[in-house]
Amino acid sequence: MWTRKAAIMLAGGVSLILVGMMISNFQLMIIGLTFIAFISINGWIEGHSTLEITRFVPHTNVYKGDLVEVTLTISNNSYKRTQQLEIFDNVPHEMKLRRGINQMRLNLGPGQTTKIEYKLRCPLRGHYSIGPISVRYRNAFDLFVSESRIDDICDITVFPQIREIEDAMLKADVPKMYTGATTLRTPGPGMEFYSLREYLSTDSLRSINWKAYARTGDLMVNQKTRDAVTDVFVILDTREVSRIGTVLKNPLEMGTVAASSLANHFLKRKDSVALVTYGSKMDYLPPDTGDKQHYKILSRLASVSAAGSMPLQAVTNALAPRISRGSPVFIISSLEGDGTTLPAIRNLSGKGHEVIVLSPSSIDLERLVSRIPRMSYEVLKLERQNRLTAVSGYGAMVIDWMPEIELAQALLQSRGA
Amino acid sequence: MTMEKKSHEVTETLHIPALRRKWQILALQIISTASLLLLLKRMSEIYGPCSEQFILDHSAGSWCPSYEHTRGLIWLSNRGDLLIPDVLLGLGQTGPTSFFGPLVICVAATVAWAQLRSLSQEFQTRVQRGVMIGFVAWMVVPFVFFWVIAMVFNGLHLPFGHEDEALNHMGVLFSPFGFVFELVFLGIVFAPVLAGLVGIWGLSKRPISWAVGYFLVVISIHAVLTFEPIVTEVDVGLRALPSQIGEGTMFWGLLSPFASSLLGIAVLMLVFLESGSAAINHLEYAASLPEDTKRNPEYVRQFNNVVNAHLVHIVVTITLVALTTALALAFDDLMISFVGVLEGTQWTGQVKESLELQMTYGKVISAGLFLLVVAGMRFVVPWQSITGYVESGIAKLRD
Repeated sequence: MWTRKAAIMLAGGVSLILVGMMISNFQLMIIGLTFIAFISINGWIEGHSTLEITRFVPHTNVYKGDLVEVTLTISNNSYKRTQQLEIFDNVPHEMKLRRGINQMRLNLGPGQTTKIEYKLRCPLRGHYSIGPISVRYRNAFDLFVSESRIDDICDITVFPQIREIEDAMLKADVPKMYTGATTLRTPGPGMEFYSLREYLSTDSLRSINWKAYARTGDLMVNQKTRDAVTDVFVILDTREVSRIGTVLKNPLEMGTVAASSLANHFLKRKDSVALVTYGSKMDYLPPDTGDKQHYKILSRLASVSAAGSMPLQAVTNALAPRISRGSPVFIISSLEGDGTTLPAIRNLSGKGHEVIVLSPSSIDLERLVSRIPRMSYEVLKLERQNRLTAVSGYGAMVIDWMPEIELAQALLQSRGA
Repeated sequence: MTMEKKSHEVTETLHIPALRRKWQILALQIISTASLLLLLKRMSEIYGPCSEQFILDHSAGSWCPSYEHTRGLIWLSNRGDLLIPDVLLGLGQTGPTSFFGPLVICVAATVAWAQLRSLSQEFQTRVQRGVMIGFVAWMVVPFVFFWVIAMVFNGLHLPFGHEDEALNHMGVLFSPFGFVFELVFLGIVFAPVLAGLVGIWGLSKRPISWAVGYFLVVISIHAVLTFEPIVTEVDVGLRALPSQIGEGTMFWGLLSPFASSLLGIAVLMLVFLESGSAAINHLEYAASLPEDTKRNPEYVRQFNNVVNAHLVHIVVTITLVALTTALALAFDDLMISFVGVLEGTQWTGQVKESLELQMTYGKVISAGLFLLVVAGMRFVVPWQSITGYVESGIAKLRD
């Protein structure tokens, strides 16, 4: 393709020749001829993009905030020089260059190889693609440009972050009650004796084995075997209203972090975890254990986006037959704009489930992006408090999660309650 | 030796201060500057003199609007003393030595401009204001001083309209404009040189394009003002270019001395434009890279590759362009010789007659045909494969 410079030079050259001919001036004609000769000679040589380009990305599954290293190896295996090329690796705009740059201007001789190395930061969860690679040939005098694409695509999944949660903050009190429940040979809350160990200052005095103390002279405590696994249900609100706030800090982002952290916590304890997301439609991932389930949950959370306005009661009604009796249910929602919240939670509590509502404060999140008058803020805050109190009145444990509070710290409220 | 080489590679970075000392960049800038100065010399040789008739008809102090500065300044000096010293204006010197003084001014102005641009925007604004205030003070302060002194001794009076010249002070008010006129007369010739130098060394593409545009405008205006129907109506005294390009006596009969001069101007213009822009392009690219990439040896290696290839391109391409244009200009002679071989038919006689009209369109049309063939050769001759084989061969020989 001709550049603007080439077009201007050609037009100028032709004009100078014509004007020179009209007024019989050889200088104008010769300048015009020189310009055209310059374009003609430059047209002889063109760059080529028959290059071997390979991309190496060591980790394609990363957590939000992690760095992705990308290495492009470009080889010219032909016997010709490439001429001046610009290599550009297309990167999703959600990812930020942290080190290096995703482009290079090069001129590879026959058999030469070069590398482009750069690091990307992934500040937003989701599924992304790096590529294709654009190869642009630019004439040395910027007269001709041609662009080609190499369809080398690398898919990257950015999972939500996982926060560590202390065991004491969350525990499923109700063991799975059906036949064949797995007995785990791991220490934890239970009835069967597991082993003796030395007393720690955090241990309860009731757990001290006084006979062992009398025998050894050291304070010893009894450790119990964890009784069985528990089904834990995590319900995540992905409705349109969960978009309130900034791109990085909104109820949905906070919710995905909370859901992934809870899932990680319970799966590590060998519990079964089910994930339900609801927004424009309900997605249900049946309870299961293990790394595979962990991966499924993280992948599901990576792809959720804020849309729709499905009521919570529709979700709980649909789920009711699937939730095992006594299983704890975590509801992660800002509780905004849904009149069915109270009856839904009342139904769940009524069926004997322990309901824990983790509610990111959407009013405080909204304050991050827009200025709310103090009086309006106070009124909205009061309304929210009333709503949370009402939910709490139906037997649910309610956690008011402020934007600046870490998840582990917020969950402490559940222990304090 | 290896260690020495390695440490050299590590220390080479793509930071602008380092690149400004890099030989390839300096070579591009020096080539561009040299071509600009040669262009100035050749332009003043061809477009500087006034017509012989004008010289015969007018005195030595008369001015014609040619591309030459001393004649205009002499004309100005006949109307009053000049404020800039003659040495700096190039007065009293002839030929290329008359360029020396003004070129010193241009270099000093370029250095000052580059230094000013490196300072903060606030300081630049302050300097601009200072210059304006200084100029206004230069106009007003002597005027007020002389007027007040005159009023002390001669009583209250207006500074103009008196028979006694000692009571008219308006001339003092406008005397600084004489300085401006001197700069204007210098600027007619040296404005593109100053712009070119500022562009090349101050790393700005616009002044380079502006300088080329200015040269083209000068050539066009000269062409129009020396066009015969115009000259019969308004003769401003410019020397017209010969209407015949002449017989080829240079470069194995390819070019006439006149054609060589004209081709020289066109080629120098291209060299100045392309080498000046190339240095800026490469530095712009380096400046756009992030800090850690500027130290990356791969990027440094490729930068060197690109700049080296660019230098080779400039030399080879411009040589080929000069050769091609020269061949294009001599193509009509070749065709006449070719048709001469086929002499005998009516058709060949007609073709020969039309081509022999060198003054008219024959020469340009044949040159255009030749360039068309040259452009089409890209589809016939695999230039890149040929250069690739040559390069591979050289690499093998080196190994």
